[in-house]
Amino acid sequence: MLTELLLETPTKVSHGGAPHLLPTRLAIDELRARADVYRLLSGVFVEEPSAAFLDALRRPESLGQLAEAGLRFDGDFIEASIDVLVEQLAIEYTTLFANSGGFPPVESVRLFGRFKQEPNFETMQTYRRLGFVLHPGRFEVFADQIGVELMFVAELLDRSAAALASGDAADAKRLEKEIKRFWVQHLGRWVRGYAQLIERSAEHSYFREMARFLRGFAAEEIEAMELRVEDADQARLVVPKAEVKVEFNPDEPVCNGCVSETIERQGGAQTLHDLR
Amino acid sequence: MEMPKVTRRTFLKVSAGSGAAVAAAPRLLHAMEADLGGKDFGPVTMAERKAIPINCHVCNIQDGAIAYVENDRVVKLEGNPEHVSTRGRLCAKGNAGMWYSYDPDRIMFPMKRVGARGEGKWKRITWDEALTELARKLDAALKEDPNTIMLKYGRQRTGGVIDRFMHTLGTATLLNHTSVCESSKKVGMEPTWGPDIETPDFANAKYVLNFGSNILEAAYFHNPLSQRITEGRVDNHMKIVTFDVRLSNTAGFSDEWIPVHPGTDGAVALAMGHVILRENLQDSEFINTWTNVTVDELKAHYKQYTPEWAEKISGVPAASIERIAIEFASTKPATLFTYRGPAKHLYGSYNEKACMMLPIMTGNIETRGGYCLPRGMGWPQPQPQPPKPAHGSYLADHPDYPLAAHKVSHLVPFWIADGKQKINVYISYQDNPVYTNPGAMAVWGKLFKDEKLIPYYVSMSPFMGEETALADLILPDCPYLERWEPESMPNSLWPWVGIRQPVHKSLGESRENRIMMRDIIWKLDPDGKRGMKKFWNFKDGEDYMRHHFDNIPGLKEAGGLDFMKKHGVWPIYGKLDPKSGKVVDKTGREIKAEYGLFKKELSAADMAGTTVDGHGTIMKNGAAIGVRRNGRNYVGFPTGNRVINVRIDQWAEYGFNPMPTFKRIPWHETMKEDELIMTTFKLNVHKQSRTAAVKWLAEIAHSNPMWINQATANKIGVKTGDLVRVESKVGYLVTKAYVTEGIHPKTVAIPTGFGHWEYGRLATLKLKEKKAEYSHGQDDADLNNVWWDDKGVHPNNIIPAVADPIGGSQGWYDTVVKVTKAGPTDKYGDTQGDWEKHYAAYKETLRYAYTGDLHRKMHPEMASWAGPASVKHKTGGGH
Ligand code: SF4
Repeated sequence: MLTELLLETPTKVSHGGAPHLLPTRLAIDELRARADVYRLLSGVFVEEPSAAFLDALRRPESLGQLAEAGLRFDGDFIEASIDVLVEQLAIEYTTLFANSGGFPPVESVRLFGRFKQEPNFETMQTYRRLGFVLHPGRFEVFADQIGVELMFVAELLDRSAAALASGDAADAKRLEKEIKRFWVQHLGRWVRGYAQLIERSAEHSYFREMARFLRGFAAEEIEAMELRVEDADQARLVVPKAEVKVEFNPDEPVCNGCVSETIERQGGAQTLHDLR
Repeated sequence: MEMPKVTRRTFLKVSAGSGAAVAAAPRLLHAMEADLGGKDFGPVTMAERKAIPINCHVCNIQDGAIAYVENDRVVKLEGNPEHVSTRGRLCAKGNAGMWYSYDPDRIMFPMKRVGARGEGKWKRITWDEALTELARKLDAALKEDPNTIMLKYGRQRTGGVIDRFMHTLGTATLLNHTSVCESSKKVGMEPTWGPDIETPDFANAKYVLNFGSNILEAAYFHNPLSQRITEGRVDNHMKIVTFDVRLSNTAGFSDEWIPVHPGTDGAVALAMGHVILRENLQDSEFINTWTNVTVDELKAHYKQYTPEWAEKISGVPAASIERIAIEFASTKPATLFTYRGPAKHLYGSYNEKACMMLPIMTGNIETRGGYCLPRGMGWPQPQPQPPKPAHGSYLADHPDYPLAAHKVSHLVPFWIADGKQKINVYISYQDNPVYTNPGAMAVWGKLFKDEKLIPYYVSMSPFMGEETALADLILPDCPYLERWEPESMPNSLWPWVGIRQPVHKSLGESRENRIMMRDIIWKLDPDGKRGMKKFWNFKDGEDYMRHHFDNIPGLKEAGGLDFMKKHGVWPIYGKLDPKSGKVVDKTGREIKAEYGLFKKELSAADMAGTTVDGHGTIMKNGAAIGVRRNGRNYVGFPTGNRVINVRIDQWAEYGFNPMPTFKRIPWHETMKEDELIMTTFKLNVHKQSRTAAVKWLAEIAHSNPMWINQATANKIGVKTGDLVRVESKVGYLVTKAYVTEGIHPKTVAIPTGFGHWEYGRLATLKLKEKKAEYSHGQDDADLNNVWWDDKGVHPNNIIPAVADPIGGSQGWYDTVVKVTKAGPTDKYGDTQGDWEKHYAAYKETLRYAYTGDLHRKMHPEMASWAGPASVKHKTGGGH
């Protein structure tokens, strides 16, 4: 399994042996379900998908669930033989994520335009602080690679679920804060825009749909965690001006020094409400 | 009290009169890098950054540098204050070197081609898969003939690894890039005095003749020599005269810029020699003692080269030639420097030789302020070493160019196309001939795309250059900040060895060259049974360096590799004085260089077992080790006979003029009124092909309009910014004009390093048009602002191959073009070269080789030469 290859937990999380304090099955299940989605998306982006990974994804129950989530794969994913699919996706992965001229799924590149900038160092520090060591999978990965960042959150969610299960609500709370902090400092700053970019650039429906899934999931997570974090990846869509809904007249001068002429010509002052 | 009245005139006067006081006034503001002496602090954290001494390798000047590392990444590069040549200062390119490591387009994993060649479809594969595939191809090639494995390198500073690799495989098909660089300069110099370059002592000279070298911006050794020439100009009030077709910044900095017709510097130099000898201003004692000709022979030979003759050819007034010659010969000390200007022509070797004769005949050799031998250091190789290949390679030692000791690699595509040598596996290392060579895509692109001629092509590169884009397999090499390499470069008067050491772990799965070559050999010979593995018996790059640095006498005692890792360079001659910027001894005085190297006397031990021939050559074990003059035994010059060979007998053997001479380029003589000569040049912030993706540099210079003289532009009705169509006999291009007085009216010049069609997003600006979707670097002020959309136009498609029949150099500055105002269908950036036409040009240049039909015609003075069949030694050249 990819997670085991990439993120190793050398220190076991201590649950302090506290009595189980109302661990709602629901909360635990949700944490675990979220962790699974993170892990799935991590598996999509961390390296070229293996035959086993794709086989598992193409099982009817998985496809059904993904369809329910709104993912619409084309025949290139559903119908291709597994060997062809593995090869095609390896090539597409290289084009999108590993080749010159592509879009490295790396926070440093997306936000600083270069590999190995501050996000790389910061994420590595964070992993270390929380007791994780980064190992290569089939290939070396950067600490701020999207797959690793997602996998990290998956690990924290699992720990959080384990904490709740063992009745350590304080630890679960602390982990929740870590996850939120990580979203605000890292994932939240780039994955939505980046996912949109991949959605538009991918030629294969597998990456297109998975990128769409990532974008939707990220938006959902941000909302659910009640975070306010702006996506700084410039790949986000630029909303056409015509579609922007405003509470005020965007063309209205902000100082009062020179408005009178226009307003007077229009026959007097108008309320902001009328201008909507 | 009345205020003094200060006008511009008065303060100029005050400035002129108070120079001494100004010099003595306290200077409280010093350059920070010099003052801090190799330290740096984070502006936010104020914590001292980790300082790792390295050797710069953005270009090949090899300055000593320090990489400052914060949070495991290089945040700043600076000159190493302990480095005697660099003295704590880097050029703009050197400051920007970390962009290579962190380039978003860097290739960090092996990749295998999956589409058609050049289609751009790749699959990432593991190292094991890559090595297995390559080993299979090499194995098959080895079975057929080791020489079918070819490696061509561009910039290689591995300290011997590439030769080790090729020798281990038993192939002699090892090619370099030197013929598109400076080979005719080297071949003009080597048989004359030994080394391939000079070290001008600019700091102490009183007079400098600069032929076609842009020291302040680009030439060898740009950064160290810029410092010295500025010192000489400012502190020593020396005069500089620059001969160049273009008003470069060095020409502008000079006292005089003499625009010269391209390719005629040699004629000017010979005429100056004529004046010096006619006026008896030569150093007779030096000539008679240290050269293989007498003053009388020289005078008789130079009689033909009158200033009037040179004026007709070069356009330089005879009176200027007379005056400058006399000034040069009567000012001591004086020096001379050349770079590509004289050498990159059909007969570049003759031009170089003619230029270097001036310091020779005036005795300015190895004097303070004069024209000095280069100083360098070597290092021992790890043992055992593989033997040299059993058989020579046609491509590497072409029989038509026996004197071209640095090969004629730019003609290789034509030779392969002609079936002269079969290639099974072609490996390139830091070499992008598809961009850098004459014919560019039209020639090398065609070669690499042809799977019959090149069945398997491997590129060792961290970047998707124009050549790598055509490969079958890419092995991700490391940029210079992640490599171990020994270094030495004669870039000042003090010899040194330096080290390049990784500043951090290489990114992704990049492997430095010596490691990937080791891994290839280990794959081929896993158990050592094939006898290859024993030559690659080292753990890692550091282990390899230990073999070099722990075995250099002197350095070994100082700590060997450990000393190098700490200081980056050895020896450390003194301390950098932050006020003067000079290296000083303990008493605060500037350290002095050693001069007169050829006058060192041999010891009694050296002399044991020697014989001395009739010319005074001291022989030991079959080799010349010195020369006896006036009863003393000197070490002399590193030539075969230990003196300066003004007459190169070996050249005569091949029907070339052994004495200083000049040959006009025949097709320049027959140029029509509306024809011009196209030259190229480098800007100060770029190197040949690998800096266009460096943002800090690209922002400063990203496009390359063609320089054209005002009068010439007027004739064709062109203004600055207008589109022009430039046509040569092999193709055409469309670019913008930059109209200026700063260029010879018969010349146009296009800077190189621009107009990439590969090399990443910043070099190609391919993703620029989709900015909203694809741009990146929101948090980076530099990348968030790629405001330009002009990437320039690359000229090489329209430059035909020319080969100096002696030195093998490409005649970069020999191209005749017609420039017209662009037509309605011409678009900026259009460029087209034609293989057939390039091939015809190659055939034409072969006619000038010593075996060609035009050779004799070009050398009527060698009428007594008995022709190619008379040649006894089929190979030679160099030293
Ligand atoms: S001249 Fe500039 S780029 Fe070249 S080695 Fe020196 S500092 Fe580096």
